[in-house]
Amino acid sequence: MGDKLKQIINQQGEQHNTATLDQSDDIVQLVGFIIGEEEYAVPILAIQEIIKPFTWTRVPQVPPYILGVFNLRGSVIPLIDLRVKFGLQSKNHNEDTRFFVLKQDDEVAGFVIDKLTAAIRIKKENIGPAPDTISGNDTMIDGVGKQEDRIITILKVDKLLERDF
Amino acid sequence: MDEFQEILQDFLVESFELVEKLDEDLVELENTPEDLELLNGIFRVAHTVKGASSFLNFDILTHLTHHMEDVLNKARHGELIITPDIMDVVLESIDLMKALLNTIRDTSADAGIDVAECVIKLDKISGGDGDVPTPVATTPAPEPVVEEVVAVESVPEEEEDEPDYDNMDPDELEAEIEKLLSQRQEEDRAKREAKIEAGETVLSAPEIEEEIEQATPASTPPVAAPVTTPVPVQKTPVAPKQAKKEEPKGDAKAAAPTKRAPAAVEQTIRVDVKRLDHLMNLIGELVLAKNRLIKINDDVEERYEGEEFLEELNQVVSIVSLVTTDLQIAVMKTRMLPIGKVFNKFPRMIRDLTRELNKKIELEISGEDTELDKSIVEEIGDPLVHIIRNSCDHGVEIPEIRVAAGKPETGTITLKAYNEGNQIVIQIDDDGKGLDADMLKDKAMEKGLITEKEADSMSEKEAFLLIMKPGFSTAASVTNVSGRGVGMDVVKTNIDKVNGIIDVESKQGEGTSMKLKIPLTLAIIQALLVGVQEEYYAIPLASVLETVRISRDEIYTVEGRSVMRLRDDVLSLVHIGDIFEVERILDASEHAYVVVLGLGTSKLGLIVDTLVGQEEIVIKSLGDYLKGIEGIAGATIRGDGGVTLIVDVVALMEMAKGVKAMAMIDNSAGDAVSNEKNKASDYTVMIVDDSKTDRMIMRKALEPMGVTLIEASDGQEALSVLKQGEHNFDCMLVDIEMPRMDGYTLATEIKKYNKYKNLPLIAVTSRTGKSDRMRGVESGMVEYITKPYSADYLSSVVQRNVNFKAEFL
Repeated sequence: MGDKLKQIINQQGEQHNTATLDQSDDIVQLVGFIIGEEEYAVPILAIQEIIKPFTWTRVPQVPPYILGVFNLRGSVIPLIDLRVKFGLQSKNHNEDTRFFVLKQDDEVAGFVIDKLTAAIRIKKENIGPAPDTISGNDTMIDGVGKQEDRIITILKVDKLLERDF
Repeated sequence: MDEFQEILQDFLVESFELVEKLDEDLVELENTPEDLELLNGIFRVAHTVKGASSFLNFDILTHLTHHMEDVLNKARHGELIITPDIMDVVLESIDLMKALLNTIRDTSADAGIDVAECVIKLDKISGGDGDVPTPVATTPAPEPVVEEVVAVESVPEEEEDEPDYDNMDPDELEAEIEKLLSQRQEEDRAKREAKIEAGETVLSAPEIEEEIEQATPASTPPVAAPVTTPVPVQKTPVAPKQAKKEEPKGDAKAAAPTKRAPAAVEQTIRVDVKRLDHLMNLIGELVLAKNRLIKINDDVEERYEGEEFLEELNQVVSIVSLVTTDLQIAVMKTRMLPIGKVFNKFPRMIRDLTRELNKKIELEISGEDTELDKSIVEEIGDPLVHIIRNSCDHGVEIPEIRVAAGKPETGTITLKAYNEGNQIVIQIDDDGKGLDADMLKDKAMEKGLITEKEADSMSEKEAFLLIMKPGFSTAASVTNVSGRGVGMDVVKTNIDKVNGIIDVESKQGEGTSMKLKIPLTLAIIQALLVGVQEEYYAIPLASVLETVRISRDEIYTVEGRSVMRLRDDVLSLVHIGDIFEVERILDASEHAYVVVLGLGTSKLGLIVDTLVGQEEIVIKSLGDYLKGIEGIAGATIRGDGGVTLIVDVVALMEMAKGVKAMAMIDNSAGDAVSNEKNKASDYTVMIVDDSKTDRMIMRKALEPMGVTLIEASDGQEALSVLKQGEHNFDCMLVDIEMPRMDGYTLATEIKKYNKYKNLPLIAVTSRTGKSDRMRGVESGMVEYITKPYSADYLSSVVQRNVNFKAEFL
């Protein structure tokens, strides 16, 4: 009886250990979204909020991918259309369209995405570097995450929030 | 450590305040060297700084102030007359003191500045009487020595009384202290009186006075005493912070014995500027909410005319808006600083400059109580320095020339500040040689800043403004004071930054007058809201001179530019849509509005489609990502929650020079869609109603015709369906009572579009009043069907309006 008890306790201990491992730094939490045909993701901690589209104000003399500015509870925030930024045709907003509000340090901006997919937990070892052809300092791609059935492009938040005009 | 930091902060704030006042006093002292009050005041500053810095172990600062104190003390006793030469040394030592304070602020230590030289000079003045100049770093702080003496002196007294303090309870101890205190005070008074009788000056009268009044524990000997007195009785030193806090108060009170009666001590507290900024932001939000409330109130009023609750709502709204306005003003006032804070440093500057330039110049200051927002006060310091330096160097002539020209030998520069409407005006006048417009033009051409053509068409006033151009300098040689061509450029940039205006007037031989017109605050401004197509822009009202309504044929084209005649002037025009790349979807009407913008002497007419009105707006930055967009100064949030961009008038005027074509004249009337109808479903009808049942009834009535039916549940939805342009509608059935946007508004909006000008709109409503029908007609409805109606009737009305071909039936 005593041995059995020990065994069970040991087992529980092991399970507990593996459970804590899952929580450790090896896991990256991302939020996935779709632009055009591709799935992208950004780290969950960079997201301030995700909101349904509403009206914005056009700003003159900016590149076409900057739609304008909108009012987020009293702050004026730029709105960027990722479709246009990624070289796709812009399209009318529909049911699935969302504004992604990303924040890093004091920089805040809203990004229009086609569709939200899911919160993703992915092991660090499953994230590969960006393909050689597009690596370098200028790329917006942080890495490529491999899931069982798909790959996800992970974007650099600081590059997204960087003014490049 | 934290406590130390706290004390240090207090020390720095206090010291900077004291030093600021010091400059002014010292210059005044030079004119009236016998003014004992002034001397006492200055001495006290040096003394206070010395006391506090020794306490905080800033040895170099202590060393320096100690020697300053020596000199000033001599002067105070009449052993030394303050001559300009001595003053130079004293001023130098004060500059060093400032530098030291700055170092302390930045690094929390006073290392890195050499005071030895200055100390030697000070010593020379005080007759080598002071301490022998010792190597700076090892100078012992004088204070501890005195403190020791104090402590030693006190000890015997305690022993005389022999009470067992250790075993006393606090109350008893308190009583004992009280007793000792009064005893000491008696003694001190007696001693002092004796001394006064003996004709001796009581050096430390102020300090003693303070000690008595504040009833701090006694044992102040009648020698130059430090303010930080240890309390031997309690066997623990007074908490450092407390001791230090007493100093400023002590100073104020100490002044009492002398004649310089201080005003009643102001009840103030120090508040971190960040908190005020935060408060200002919150007020901004409140103002926006207020604007929104007013807008909603207007909407409700229109909708529920004559209802009883309206009056109550009205009252509440007006109270809220009144209180908000008051609150805004009150908070704005807390951020206000008297401009005197900036003016204070100029007497000293003029003094230094006159000695450097060998000129005689007097500075007259008035209106130093005029208040301005803190952020603006900080911005205008530099420009004023440059303007005044400029006046001294280029404006006022050297005495011989002045006398030859029949002017008084001493030149005068007046600096005054006053309120003018919503602005503060800072006026700098000098009675120097004035500006020579032609000479300025020549110089500017020589330097390639303007072309000859520009020079010819330049008015005198515009020529004066040339001095603000970067790289422009009329000085023959670069001096210490000016001639590098940087200064006045700084003036222009800084004043532009705070939305201010510079006005220069000058008469050759008589002098120059410069006016800086600056808004009271930066955060909230009055703006004129204008509309172009579907967009709105806010123009700061300060730059709007007037608005005029013109018809298209009043616009002329000269050399590819549009101009109009405004009374006797020709005003060049630019369409706001051309500057901000606005897409033209709406029909251009016969009439347009021209907003006449004025900036200094230049004027520009800005053509807009509509004038929305005047509104108080809160300026918000566009953030780092979008900053620096030409022509846009910022954004504001309107009553409806939308963002409106604020026009940067300065940049807009620059941009207008580049805009030539006037696209607004082209009237390529969008060809009305006249698609051939081949079958019944080619006809498209939109049904706009918020009730699903009503939409169903209409659908049932029209379906037999075979036309295509599109539904929308309110005005906004209908409008966005129209804008998407996926369908070419032949007719619309519009309900009047709808949420978000009602039928009348929808009709008015639709009629603004060129494309839909002739689209038949049919009202389908249960409103039967005559006034309702009138409104329907006004907003452009062609038919008015009242519910209930028969399916046949509806169908026949639609057929009539879409010119339904009989063969499809």
